[in-house]
Amino acid sequence: MSHRTTQRLYNVLAYTVVVIVGIFSAFPIVWTFLTSLKRNEDVVTKTLQYIPTNPTLENYSELWGRMSFITLFGNSAIITVMTVSICLVIGSTTAYALSRYRFPGRGGMMMVFLLIRMFPMVLMLVPLFIILRNLGLLNSRLGLALVYTTFLLPISIWMIKGFLDAIPIDLEEAARIDGASRAGVIVRIILPLAAPGIAATAVLISIASWNEFMFALMFTSNEQSQTWPVGLHLLVGGEFNLPWGLLSAGGIISVIPIIIFFVLAQNSIVRGLTQGAVKG
Amino acid sequence: MSQLANADARNKLQSFLSLYLQKLNPFSLIGHISETKYWAYLMILPGLLLVSVVIFYPVVSGIWLSFHKYNLLRPKAGQPWVGLEQYQELINDPIFWISLKNTFIFGVGNVILPLMLGMIAALALNHINRGRALFRTMLLMPWFMPSVVAGHMWALLLDSRLGVVNDLLVRIGLLDSYHAWFADPNTTMIAVLMVGLWRGFPFFTLLLLAGMQSIPTELYEAASVDGANPWLKYRAITLPLLIPIILVSVTLRTIAVINSPDLFIILTGGGPGRTTHVLSFYAFNTAFSEFNFGYAATISTIMLLIVTIFIVIYMRVLRNPNQQRSAT
Repeated sequence: MSHRTTQRLYNVLAYTVVVIVGIFSAFPIVWTFLTSLKRNEDVVTKTLQYIPTNPTLENYSELWGRMSFITLFGNSAIITVMTVSICLVIGSTTAYALSRYRFPGRGGMMMVFLLIRMFPMVLMLVPLFIILRNLGLLNSRLGLALVYTTFLLPISIWMIKGFLDAIPIDLEEAARIDGASRAGVIVRIILPLAAPGIAATAVLISIASWNEFMFALMFTSNEQSQTWPVGLHLLVGGEFNLPWGLLSAGGIISVIPIIIFFVLAQNSIVRGLTQGAVKG
Repeated sequence: MSQLANADARNKLQSFLSLYLQKLNPFSLIGHISETKYWAYLMILPGLLLVSVVIFYPVVSGIWLSFHKYNLLRPKAGQPWVGLEQYQELINDPIFWISLKNTFIFGVGNVILPLMLGMIAALALNHINRGRALFRTMLLMPWFMPSVVAGHMWALLLDSRLGVVNDLLVRIGLLDSYHAWFADPNTTMIAVLMVGLWRGFPFFTLLLLAGMQSIPTELYEAASVDGANPWLKYRAITLPLLIPIILVSVTLRTIAVINSPDLFIILTGGGPGRTTHVLSFYAFNTAFSEFNFGYAATISTIMLLIVTIFIVIYMRVLRNPNQQRSAT
């Protein structure tokens, strides 16, 4: 076999694998989308419909009427914004100090931040529940945002630190010689340069807190404070015949913001994640 | 004379005032503080405070709680100290042992299978040029699905009557008739592992692909000159250089899998029987269905011990400087 034919063979093989795995990844999402376009009687049929025969947007409009859509979406959005704000502000200052200054306890702190994200969330569930109840923060958006901070802040610190490490220190020294204060350097030099990385971190945190389910399920008990994933889950609960069309429509709606976010910031997310996980 | 002195005093006052006002300006105030030696600590402080309030306190009080009886349904009983009583109870609890076994099965299966698929996908993605960005997006998508949506999606796909998986399998002749995946104890774990594979493999693809792209191409060129075939190149170059990344990602994934009850809450509820009853689900259920917080804390503390083993492995891998250097 000549070199060129083996090369071609491997190309074919690689594309076959990528296409098959791609179908495996995308199929459930596509199927959910197709189901969301079907009327219930077209879902519950003897012969399965692959392409909906009477495509309709009824499920989407019914979903609007049945769930307190705006409340759920609004809660999720507000909690996400709060979580992202806390994580970015506190995460960046901590990450900057860890990246640029050498002080006693620095290594230990970095280790602690690394280990924290591995703690079993279930272990924190009960104590956090008790704390939130004592503070009167059950059923509150701020309460959930604080809870999400527990597992998202360490990730933010590690990700932002990775991006800051990549900014050459010479730039800062030059600005210092020109008379800028340390805080001035951060605001004028570092923040603009780190902005893409910080944005990627923000996207990742948004997705994680938008998707979060377990804590939101436990720490909210009324519709005013529930988040979108919980609302979607409870849509199913207690019904004998599952409203598949509705559920699929809800799934598709909740996925749209994530897909947009992910496609926008894909490259930097990938970079930040891999740096954070593999570098000690 | 006195006029001159007056002007002098006025000048002094003015300059003092302007300096004072400048210091009051929050921006220049921060600038001044940033020149002191406390600056680094000041920047660390918020992170440290938040971490100790929202992370350390809960963890420590969780462990503390495991030595107490605390049931929300019996508020009059309070929180009496019972020492190791609940740990003894745990050892004699058959459900605990079943859950431990299931955690082990699910933990291993839901790491090994995604690792294998993730490796294959990463190799293929690394090989292709055209359309790589598109396929990478497609392949990473499942990882970013909300667990609720993913769970219900697969519940629909695997539904016994309406599921497309059954239909496809019957059509290509792998199944004689529709199968009730989540009602049959023999296939429930398989179905959950399948969903876990779907959600889990992109994480490995992502990390392995990053690792592959950091391997210098000269190594492969040199191997080509020596006449090595792709399999040999994989065995001799790619795999050894990826070992640290594989170890790190396997550890992280194992920890995540052990800790998260999401899929079980949504898909199986631990059933049928107790075939998918894992520890995370057990702790979750004990706390929020039975409101037995003390016992739930005991189960969680045992889980922390299990996870700690994996954390130690992770640290070992990251600490090993030789492996670290060869990875990047």
